[in-house]
Amino acid sequence: MGKQITFKRESEMPMISVSLGDMEWNKTGAWRTQRPFYEEKTPPCSAACPAGNDISGFILKTAKGDWEGAWNLIREENPFPGVCGRVCFHPCESKCNRGSFDEPIAIHALERFVADFAPRLSKKTGKAGEKRKEKVAIIGSGPAGMSSAYHLARLRYDVTVFESFPLAGGMLRMGIPSYRLPRDVLDRELSNIEALGVEIRTGISLGEHLKLEDLKDYQAIFLSTGAHRSRGLHIQGEKEKGVLSGLDLLKKMNLSKRIKMGEKIAIIGGGNTAIDVARSVIRLGKKATILYRRSREEMPAFEDEILEALEEGVKIRYLVNPIRVGQKDGPKRLECLRMELSEKDESGRRRPVPIPHSNLFIDADYVVIAAGEEIGASFLPEGAEKREGIVLTRRDGSTGIKGVFAGGDLASNQRTVAHAIGSGKKAAMAIDAFLQGKDAEEVIIQHLIGEGPSLSIFGYLHPGERLRNPHVVTFEELNMDYFEPAKRQGESKSAVKERIKGFNEVSSTLSEGVALEEAERCFGCGTCNECENCYVFCPDGSILKREELFSHQVDYDYCKGCGICFTECPRGAISLKEEAK
Amino acid sequence: MRRVITGNQAVAYGVILSRVDVVSAYPITPQTTIVEELSELIASGRLKTRFLKVESEHSAMAALIGASTGGVRTFTATSSHGLAYMHEMLHWASGARLPIVLVNVNRAIGPPWNIWGDQSDSVSQRDTGWIQLYCENNQEVLDTILQAYLIAETVRLPVMVVLDAFVLSHTAEPVEIPSIEEADSLLPPFCPDYPIDTQEPRSYSVITTPDYFLEFRYKVQKAMEEVPEVAKKVDDEFRSRFGRSYGAIERYGKKEAELLLMTSGTVTSTSRIVIKKLMEKGLSVAGIKIKRFRPFPSEEICEVIQGAKKIAVIDRNLSAGVGGIFAQELRASLYSREERPQVFGFVSGLGGRDITPALIEEAVQYTVEHPQPEGDILWLGLKK
Repeated sequence: MGKQITFKRESEMPMISVSLGDMEWNKTGAWRTQRPFYEEKTPPCSAACPAGNDISGFILKTAKGDWEGAWNLIREENPFPGVCGRVCFHPCESKCNRGSFDEPIAIHALERFVADFAPRLSKKTGKAGEKRKEKVAIIGSGPAGMSSAYHLARLRYDVTVFESFPLAGGMLRMGIPSYRLPRDVLDRELSNIEALGVEIRTGISLGEHLKLEDLKDYQAIFLSTGAHRSRGLHIQGEKEKGVLSGLDLLKKMNLSKRIKMGEKIAIIGGGNTAIDVARSVIRLGKKATILYRRSREEMPAFEDEILEALEEGVKIRYLVNPIRVGQKDGPKRLECLRMELSEKDESGRRRPVPIPHSNLFIDADYVVIAAGEEIGASFLPEGAEKREGIVLTRRDGSTGIKGVFAGGDLASNQRTVAHAIGSGKKAAMAIDAFLQGKDAEEVIIQHLIGEGPSLSIFGYLHPGERLRNPHVVTFEELNMDYFEPAKRQGESKSAVKERIKGFNEVSSTLSEGVALEEAERCFGCGTCNECENCYVFCPDGSILKREELFSHQVDYDYCKGCGICFTECPRGAISLKEEAK
Repeated sequence: MRRVITGNQAVAYGVILSRVDVVSAYPITPQTTIVEELSELIASGRLKTRFLKVESEHSAMAALIGASTGGVRTFTATSSHGLAYMHEMLHWASGARLPIVLVNVNRAIGPPWNIWGDQSDSVSQRDTGWIQLYCENNQEVLDTILQAYLIAETVRLPVMVVLDAFVLSHTAEPVEIPSIEEADSLLPPFCPDYPIDTQEPRSYSVITTPDYFLEFRYKVQKAMEEVPEVAKKVDDEFRSRFGRSYGAIERYGKKEAELLLMTSGTVTSTSRIVIKKLMEKGLSVAGIKIKRFRPFPSEEICEVIQGAKKIAVIDRNLSAGVGGIFAQELRASLYSREERPQVFGFVSGLGGRDITPALIEEAVQYTVEHPQPEGDILWLGLKK
């Protein structure tokens, strides 16, 4: 360290005020009233992810070409990146801060890319180590059950999954057509879970083959049986031959059973099941007409799915409501009433009301009713309370019966794959807490992402490593001077005429180049990506590069607390707090 | 080579012959044709100089401060409002001891809006630490540019070379142009004191506490005090090579005259005729041309005024509330002397109005007739 240079007379001084030594003797840190510090914060995408994915974390790794690292990071929270990358409704993208700048990051496409590319590079996931003595039974091998099984296996429990169907996967297999979710993708991710030592026993149905009392050997039980019972329309003729529920039809098709249904299929309903049925039917070379009692605007199906269905030739008739399925045998004649929309109902959508004497008839060879699903409650054990169509649980997923937890569609009206995966993870943490005598609710609260309800297991599995910061980065906290508009890159879709020939996947995985480009668009809200703006802008040279740690550090001996690093950080990864006096 | 060129072309030749590395300027009448000439030569590739386009005179000077700190020879030209806009950077250039040469084509400062010549722009900058040299004709303009670099790089202070709007800037007269070899033999390449070196990084012009600031200003003053001797040497050297010299001042007319007429710039040319005519009429009169305004040539003046009773000064500038600046400076120079002639401070020719032989004669006549002036400011040619 240099010493302060002093001059006794003017002749010793240089001609101009030029530095002759260094200023290290002058510890300007003492002037500081505000302290900048690196603080990883939560990006809004992660906080919005029901499955609790570390989204900007995996995209950052993707942008660096570390696809295996990205894949492993996703799987810290979620064993189904290949599934979610395809079928999740990606609420992360609607919260993406980049959406306030140009277009949100195509997060789902990147997740899918990572899930498809990384396993080629990666060795198979090994077993989680020596098992604990406690055993956990999981009823249902859908996304909730398998997510729970995955995390419980990582927590070294002896896990057995009971599945009533002959194949595992639950609604992922039975409800989602393969043109949206190819079966090899699902099988790959299920087998990765099995590889952790999870046993899946298929063909065993709760209530029928199995009672809770039979599970005395298991110290905890997770109920994730889903919502498989189709709601009826309660109209005349709906129980007759030639009329089937949408979910049952999908199940049959997904179990490769042949169904005689004629040529013209009428599908009643406006949700994703109706669209899935219609698009599947088209692929069998038949005509599909959806009848929906409200208008396009109120349709609960995902917009992209509706557009793709229309492209493929699905007809949608709005504002019609069947009141009777005519003719017992052979082709059906649906008697409908025209509807009009009146004021909004409790769901916020405009309520359809029939127009008197507007009866019309629609002919169809086969009628499919897709009016929503509900849980089949007949098997429910005593003590598991049901309310508003779902099994009632506490915040930690526990039911009224000690040691029995419930999740997925069975215990929630937010019936998405991502929500199911999240609830399975929550159950795994709660079951571990329960079995280890910890306060499960406390555990859940500690590991919320942002303000919740999204949950991270990472900090629970790796105590002492970073917890997700409750601070969710807003658009206003970012510095847009450092970003340029860049077009969002999405998956390409195959041509309609190719699509309708069969059940091949409609969209294709991003190429490596495109994925890198898209990943580079990510603001990385709240996460330092070593862009070095702080290092470049610090007027005091008080940002230290720690290359071996891939991070930066503030040199508080000299930092004056001017806050330039805080302002110039493009992504809000630096915080500023008042210096303790 | 002898050519008929304007004052602004003479400046351009001076810059070319000085092998300037970086030119940065912003256009303003009546300076514009200087950098127009230079930029065209640079654009055509005939002149290997970097031209930095900037959005203002402030930036032009700032750019040159950077370039000069980097160790290269620099030039800019401006006038009037442009020079005023540079003001802050003028202080910076001298404080940083950068030998930048600037040509200021004298022009009045508005309002009222005016593009014609007077000295209010350059004399306003007298306290910025720049050497100021005023020119009488186009030959002197070219020669002064060459001398300016030699003086600036010797004492490490910037130099402002000043010429009158239009009368010199846009008027052509025969000028002897030295060859580049002759110019090179006079002016060696510039060697900076603290060059920018990435191997030995430095901070320049960093904050200096009250402990040392006074000493840095003392050094500026000491450098100014070296100027008379350095400039004389340069002028002598110049004379030995080219046969022309200018001095800090020039006295002409009758030896041991009772009345002296002090002028600067092109007014001197006119005065020479008037003085000659009055001498022929038998008047004891001589002229003093002030070339170097900063540092003010007090000693040189005192040496040539022995025996004079009165000095008439014609100022083409006005410091409102005081009067003509040259007269003020002269009064201050005389104060400590035992023998103090009366100073008659005439203010005339503002905003480009011609200072005709008749007006000059009127000033001399007034000085002859009055034992002392009737006030600090004597308005010459004012429409009363």
